[in-house]
Amino acid sequence: MDKPDNVELTASTSKLSIHTPGHGSYLNYIRTLVGDLARKVGFPEDDVAKVEMSVDEACSNVVKHAYAPKKAWLWQHRHPEIRLDMQVVDNKVIIEIHDHGQKFDFAAYRPDAIQDRLKDMQTNGYGISIMREFMDEVTYSSCDSTGNTLRLVKYLKKT
Amino acid sequence: MKEFRIDQETKGAIQVVRLTGSLDMYSFPRLETQLNTNLQQGHHAILLDCKDLDYIGSAGLGALIGFAKKAREKGGDIKLVNVPERIYKIIELLGFTKVLQVHNDEAAALASFTAH
Repeated sequence: MDKPDNVELTASTSKLSIHTPGHGSYLNYIRTLVGDLARKVGFPEDDVAKVEMSVDEACSNVVKHAYAPKKAWLWQHRHPEIRLDMQVVDNKVIIEIHDHGQKFDFAAYRPDAIQDRLKDMQTNGYGISIMREFMDEVTYSSCDSTGNTLRLVKYLKKT
Repeated sequence: MKEFRIDQETKGAIQVVRLTGSLDMYSFPRLETQLNTNLQQGHHAILLDCKDLDYIGSAGLGALIGFAKKAREKGGDIKLVNVPERIYKIIELLGFTKVLQVHNDEAAALASFTAH
C-alpha cells in the first residue's frame, strides 16, 4: 500500500511505528497496517478483525474527541497528530496510541453495555465498549509532558 | 484500499444503495447525507448492498441505526445484504444483527420489505 503524504512509518517483522496527522482520512491506512502485522505474527483472521476494529475505534476517538475544536489540548500549539506503536512481545501484541489532545477520564468512564445501547437504538458511544470487548487489556494514561496514551493488548492464543 | 463509493438504484419502492470501500468515522457522513436525502425524498425502504464493503466501524453502524429509527417511524427500514463474512462475524458478535436485519440474497431481501 502506498504511504500517504505526511506519514512517518517504521516497520519490521514484529514492530510497527506510524506517525500521522490526527485526521480521519488516515484511519484506513493505520488499521490496514495494523491488521497486516497482526496477521503476519500469527493471529487468526477473526482476531485480526477485532484488533483492526479496536485500533480504528481508538484512533477515531482521538480524532473526534481528543482533537475536537475548542477543547483544552495538552499541547495546544501543535497540530493534531497520532503516533501508533505496535510490537509483538512473547505471546502478545501491544499497541500504544499516543495523542496530545484533550485528556480523558478513562477510568471513570463506564458506558452502558453494548446490548443496552442497541436496545435503545443509540447511534454512538460504542467505541470504548468495543475495545474492551475485543482486546484483553485496555488502559489509558495521560501526562502533561508525554501526552495521552491508550494501550491495547491482545494475547496470541495457541490453537 | 478501495476508495469509498456510494451507488444507488431504484427497484420499485426500494432504494438499493451499494457501498464500496470502508465505512468508518471519516466516510460515514457521506452515507448519512445520502440516506437523509433519500428520506426527504420519501424513500423509506433501503437495501444496503455490502458486497464490496471492506470495513465498517461503530460510526458507520451508528449511522445505519439512526436511519433505521427514522425509517421505521415512517413504515420503512434499512436492511443489509451480501455482507462479507468477516464483517458479519464482527457485527453479529457485537449484537448489531439484533437491530439491523441482514439477508444473504438480494431477491429475498427485496421481497422481505413487502412481506409484512
